[in-house]
Amino acid sequence: MIRLEKVSFSYDKQEIFRDLSLHVEKNEKVGIVGESGCGKSTLLKLIAGLYLPSEGKICVDGETDPARISRKVSVVMQAPMLLPMTIMENITMGHEYPAERIDRVCEEAQLSKWIGTLSEGINTYLGDRSDELSGGQAQRIAIARAMCKDAQIILLDEPTSALDAENTAAVLEALRRYTVDKTVVHVTHRPEHLKGYDRILKMEDLIGK
Amino acid sequence: MPVLKILLKRNRIWVFAAILAALVSNLSQMFYFVFVGKLVDKIAGRQTIEYSFIAILAVFMIANVVTVSLNHYIGHMTAEKMAHSLRMGYARKLLKKTNGENRSCDAGQIMSVVQNELAQADAYLGNTFFDIFSMTFSGILVLVFLLFQNALLTMTLLIPAILILVYVLILSKRMTPLVSETQNAKNRMNHAVYSTVHAFPAIRIFDGEKLAMHTFQRETTDWVRSATKLERRSALYNSLSGVLSGIPLLLLLLAGGYMVLDGHIMLGTLIVFLNLQKSLMGFIMNLPAWIGGFKIFTANLTRIEIE
Repeated sequence: MIRLEKVSFSYDKQEIFRDLSLHVEKNEKVGIVGESGCGKSTLLKLIAGLYLPSEGKICVDGETDPARISRKVSVVMQAPMLLPMTIMENITMGHEYPAERIDRVCEEAQLSKWIGTLSEGINTYLGDRSDELSGGQAQRIAIARAMCKDAQIILLDEPTSALDAENTAAVLEALRRYTVDKTVVHVTHRPEHLKGYDRILKMEDLIGK
Repeated sequence: MPVLKILLKRNRIWVFAAILAALVSNLSQMFYFVFVGKLVDKIAGRQTIEYSFIAILAVFMIANVVTVSLNHYIGHMTAEKMAHSLRMGYARKLLKKTNGENRSCDAGQIMSVVQNELAQADAYLGNTFFDIFSMTFSGILVLVFLLFQNALLTMTLLIPAILILVYVLILSKRMTPLVSETQNAKNRMNHAVYSTVHAFPAIRIFDGEKLAMHTFQRETTDWVRSATKLERRSALYNSLSGVLSGIPLLLLLLAGGYMVLDGHIMLGTLIVFLNLQKSLMGFIMNLPAWIGGFKIFTANLTRIEIE
């Protein structure tokens, strides 16, 4: 489903990694661990079609065109990347989804309780309240957005980095339930977040193989 | 403590010097004009002009030039000192914030404050703030002096000016919500631009280009609408104020000319009135603009936190 063959990536003339190879089968859950700055997030962005490799080949679900790859994956980054819009718009990104699906993802991302306390609910405008929003709330909106897209391939880049221990456990459990029949690549520096994964790889083991 | 109070307190020696310089400069200017008026009277009355009179006039002339220059220098130096305190205070607050007080340092909002509120407050301090001190002293001193010279002629000048002032003030009251609305719209637009750049990966992955464009367009349109409305209203008030400000001078010329011809006042007194009316009218007619500018300045300061 995901194939990276001898991929190299440089940014600003600085080589991030060289000859990285990775194969992930359909419905497989793969965790990749490594120190901060070793290129884990870059790898995920390459798989998502957000970056172009300097060398090598990337094929995701039969697609090699980065724009087409982007359409086939769902991503939760470290930063929630919210836009000055309503909670609903940040989750759906302007697409029409059934109300039940939106309710379900809000529930699974542990958002429903908080949304229930807002006077305008899911239609609350986030533009001027970025300071009022906690890191956890913002990240859970990003998780709900990823769930709402319902792509077959889920890419997770430290999705719980802004959450406390209790919320981390709840969100990881929700992600686990949600990704039962999905292909997952999860990069983190905390291997304990990868419980139940099919394979846990070290970043350095992928390079030069 | 309000930001303006902090700035004034931190630069109190310079502020005191600027106020003193404004007072001395305006007093010397007024005495100079009085002596010019007396000179005109002496010439018109074919009287002998003593050497001592010419010497005093020369002293006032030199004092006037020196004090005006000093006032200008100290005023602008004080403004720059205060602007520096404002910039550095904001930077200190920002550095403190990034040390963990705030969860996230929103670069969009910081850039927006630097490019808008901070830049505008800085420009106001440098271009207007201490000129207001000077013109206020000048206006009050001249008013008291002219009332002692000729109360009737002063009233001829003052009453229409006050009526016009009240009229312009009422109109300018409508400006405050517009200014605030435009500032908010600009902040929202800057935030939208920053967020769009920052959230580009999410926009791409979740196919949100249309929504991002829609958001950006909405915020831009809002800002354009507010800014256009503010500029239109501002242009209308300023041109009205400009046209109306000519009326008191016309009345002074008519009434003053009649009084000179009728022998009620000397020609020198009218010359003094004509010279000094600029200071008085400048103070009265610019008052709404100063108040408007000061409101924008204080509104900008409320959005800036300093340490």
